[in-house]
Amino acid sequence: MINERFDVVVIGGGPAGLAAAVSAKQHGAESVLVLDRNSWLGGILPQCIHDGFGVEETGTSMTGPEYAEIYIQEGKQQEIRFMTETMVLRLEKNLEMIAVNKKDIFNIKAGTIVLATGCREKTRWHALIPGTRPSGIYTAGVAQALINLYNIMPGKNIVILGSGDVGLIMARRLTLEGANVLAVAELLPYASGLPRNIVQCLDDYDIPLFLNHTITCIGGKERVEQVTIQQVDDQWMPIPGTEKQISCDTLLLSLGLIPENELAKGVGIEIDGRTGGPVVNQRFETTRPGVFACGNSLQVYDTVDMLAIDAQRAGGHAAISVVQTQDTTIRKAKPHAVNVIAGVSVRSVVPQQVNEGGIVRFTLRVQRPSSVAVLRVLAGSRELLRKKLPWVNPVNLISVDVLIPDDVIMSGKNIEVIISDH
Amino acid sequence: MKHFQVAIIGGGVIGSALAWNLSKYRIDAVVFEAGTDVTSGTSKANSGVIHSGINSPPRSHKARFCVEGNTMFSTLTNELGVPLKQIGKFVIAKNDDEIKELERLRNIGLQNGVPGLEIVDGSRVKKKEQNVSCVAALWVPTAGIVLPYQLTIALAEHAAENGIKFLLETTVNSLKEQHDNRLLIGTNRGIFQADVVVNAAGLNCREIFSFLDKPDFQVYPCRGEYLVLDKNYGSLVTSMVYPVPVKELGVLGVHITPTIEGNILLGPSAEFIDDPEDKRTTKEKMKTLLKEAKDIIPALPENGVINAYSGVRCKLAPPESGGWMDFRIEESQQNPHLIHLLGIESPGLTAAPAIAKEVTTMISQHIKLEQKRNYKPKKVRRTRFSELSTEQQSILIKKDERWGRIICRCEQVTEAEVIEALSNPLGARTLSAVKYRCRAGMGRCQGGFCTQHITRIMIEQFHMDVTKLKMHSPKSYLFTGNTRMVTNDK
Amino acid sequence: MTTEREITCIVCPLGCKIFVRSDGTAVETLKGNKCNKGVDYARNEVFDPRRLLTTSLLVKHGEWPLVSVKSSQPVPKEKIFSLLKELRKTTIEAPVKCGQILIKNAAYIGIDILATKTVKKSGKTIAVSPKKSR
Repeated sequence: MINERFDVVVIGGGPAGLAAAVSAKQHGAESVLVLDRNSWLGGILPQCIHDGFGVEETGTSMTGPEYAEIYIQEGKQQEIRFMTETMVLRLEKNLEMIAVNKKDIFNIKAGTIVLATGCREKTRWHALIPGTRPSGIYTAGVAQALINLYNIMPGKNIVILGSGDVGLIMARRLTLEGANVLAVAELLPYASGLPRNIVQCLDDYDIPLFLNHTITCIGGKERVEQVTIQQVDDQWMPIPGTEKQISCDTLLLSLGLIPENELAKGVGIEIDGRTGGPVVNQRFETTRPGVFACGNSLQVYDTVDMLAIDAQRAGGHAAISVVQTQDTTIRKAKPHAVNVIAGVSVRSVVPQQVNEGGIVRFTLRVQRPSSVAVLRVLAGSRELLRKKLPWVNPVNLISVDVLIPDDVIMSGKNIEVIISDH
Repeated sequence: MKHFQVAIIGGGVIGSALAWNLSKYRIDAVVFEAGTDVTSGTSKANSGVIHSGINSPPRSHKARFCVEGNTMFSTLTNELGVPLKQIGKFVIAKNDDEIKELERLRNIGLQNGVPGLEIVDGSRVKKKEQNVSCVAALWVPTAGIVLPYQLTIALAEHAAENGIKFLLETTVNSLKEQHDNRLLIGTNRGIFQADVVVNAAGLNCREIFSFLDKPDFQVYPCRGEYLVLDKNYGSLVTSMVYPVPVKELGVLGVHITPTIEGNILLGPSAEFIDDPEDKRTTKEKMKTLLKEAKDIIPALPENGVINAYSGVRCKLAPPESGGWMDFRIEESQQNPHLIHLLGIESPGLTAAPAIAKEVTTMISQHIKLEQKRNYKPKKVRRTRFSELSTEQQSILIKKDERWGRIICRCEQVTEAEVIEALSNPLGARTLSAVKYRCRAGMGRCQGGFCTQHITRIMIEQFHMDVTKLKMHSPKSYLFTGNTRMVTNDK
Repeated sequence: MTTEREITCIVCPLGCKIFVRSDGTAVETLKGNKCNKGVDYARNEVFDPRRLLTTSLLVKHGEWPLVSVKSSQPVPKEKIFSLLKELRKTTIEAPVKCGQILIKNAAYIGIDILATKTVKKSGKTIAVSPKKSR
């Protein structure tokens, strides 16, 4: 067993972890460690060989691996310690981390911890898709890794369920590698990926997109042989009589992501059922003081840029927290936190708590698309913000800065975020 | 042509238990298994329950072998090094009619010699199972759970290590008689000769039966679907919770069954089907399972399902007749050296060691069985990294760094365990073979993380061809090939 | 011949829908864009549609079997598959540095292929070569 201690330990070396770590260093943490269980850094980025990353942050559109490289180089320059192929097995009650790699078991202590543990993909059973259980069913991310990292082709005749960006990107990737993408089915009446991806990934290759459709059965004795695609009504229920069979050998599932928070749950950190991630305050600190959260494990982000901006802030706060705690003359009595409620027409809001007055950046998702939307932030009957938005869609994370006065914090009243039509 | 003293057709739990039993003797025996691994059929797709015997009619074979098997299980699992948990079962009643059923079951149990049966009231149940509401229940303390695939694999590998041959992906397609009752077995891997043949072919038992005998029965496949819940909900129940049996079908109804690993199984359903290989899961049944389970446990989560599977029962009685028929364990009418095991459904798993003992006795009528002197009785249990202390983990890693590389992050399975699984004595080398031996792929991400890593290990360390990697069955190919072909420049 | 098209701009995530009318050689009407990049994109889309190509090349003796690459500029749409065919025949020797020009003037269309990933040299190959059949 090897014992180590760092000012800030970041669990997860994907885009969020890297951004948080670099920021932690920049904000004064002396020793920063990044742990990742893969043998590479960058998380999902090395397999995202398409471009579109970093536009907001850097002004140029880069591929995933190029974007990762920037942070990795920055991290090396800042002398951040990286431990790859190292997995944190659990957090102990006192927040010591038990981690393992090919050298030994580690007991790692930290001043503060940043959870950047990412997410996993929804499987067939999240949609309870009936049928046989043959080989040839892959989630989009796994297919992407196989093709782009391991030089392995998962199939030849593909049907894709889910029109999110990952599914669309894979439609193109598979086509470029010689596969036949026969159809993309989407449950909603609109595609959930970016319009540019509909153009570049489907239109360019004449791949048909079936909106208001889902896969209602998988067939094939040992390998996928066909899938049943069926239209759904506005309650998402399959419409009898609209079943169509598509012969294929592969079903790709792009059903969405689930934040991974087993480490957080293990030490009783409160999880928000709406985001699937930890409840955090405006400094990205969870309900366990000293543990911060960022990235896709906090909430599923749309673009890596927005994710990185928040991760930088989380890393910065994690560093400041350590530095502040070490200086015992600064002892501020923190007021209790005020809860932030996702109100009418809002699916989720982060942060879910605010414990200090000032400008707070909220990121939120709406329940349904609308072309007439007024975003309102309320404390009781008092309106803290009113913003007209040109259009809103659940697939786009909305970010807004709100000034929260001190007296709202003192009052203890909930802050509510709502979308109204006027 | 290869000759064996005993040939067992079928590598399910019955065939494997028989092989394990025979391996204690100086005997030349083989198991023909059509799948890529043992436990390919119903043996892996059940509830894993070691039944007490309250559900079988007194004086039936099912009752006899179930009760006998139940008493043998503790010793068996000890010897094999696999876990058995005697968690007990509550059969719950929601009204007076159902309480009468409890009394009927208790009586059957008493007649079958089942110990410890007790009818308790709802408050006693609530004390042990906070999430279950009922009026009364029958407490069955001798009911236990195992991982049925783990058990079958342990039986088979133990037998293999003691000299029994296992031929995988080998299908028997003919049986012919030779002089002095010897049998010629035609397979896709050639013809074999055996002194005694045992038909333990499960759902294919009638096909094997008809090679030499005129079939006097039908097989009525009855599919049971299951849902598997995330381990995070494993504490919803501590013992098995069953509703009162649904009489019409002769099957047990939807149960809540904890697993050894801390998951919860919901199911099975019961649906008579035409094709015994139709192992589909259906939307209708999946929804029904969730609804009926929620009736028993209101606290059941909406979205806790991580997996679904189905198993098909080899029933010998149709639904119209009530769907119940006894085990048939008998010599063939044509040839006393051919032993048929027909209709082995629930409580088949529980009965397995007892059936193996019985069939061994039947075999001994034809072949002199001598105990081995060099029998290796204790199988070393596969080490589970995740169950060790940090000190033990540290020691292992320093000996071999592959213990420090996590391949399955949901179940915390290491590279060393995956390699050990792929190095099994049966030669099974599929993703399922890995899954059932070390659990990689059984977690909440269902292979999302580990599939690429296991694939890499198969290709790099076991030099397997990427186009030949399989998921479970003989033609369940995973990949079509490489995206870029490597050309050798020699 | 007058053609009218509604084009979804792909330059940035906003995805403006741009209406373009052209007479075959010049643009008559172009509206719907929220910035100037959209003008160039829409014009090109009508007369000379191009796409940035991202794919991977086989690597020899590297810690990874593939290196991800991109075209130095957008490739004419109709040339993409022939370019891919050429790239499929190419093997690069490790080490490869991110940003390195791997192929100049690929398939003679005047566009370079750049590495987007760093692949170090490895002692062992991550062997994904298929077994040669007898």
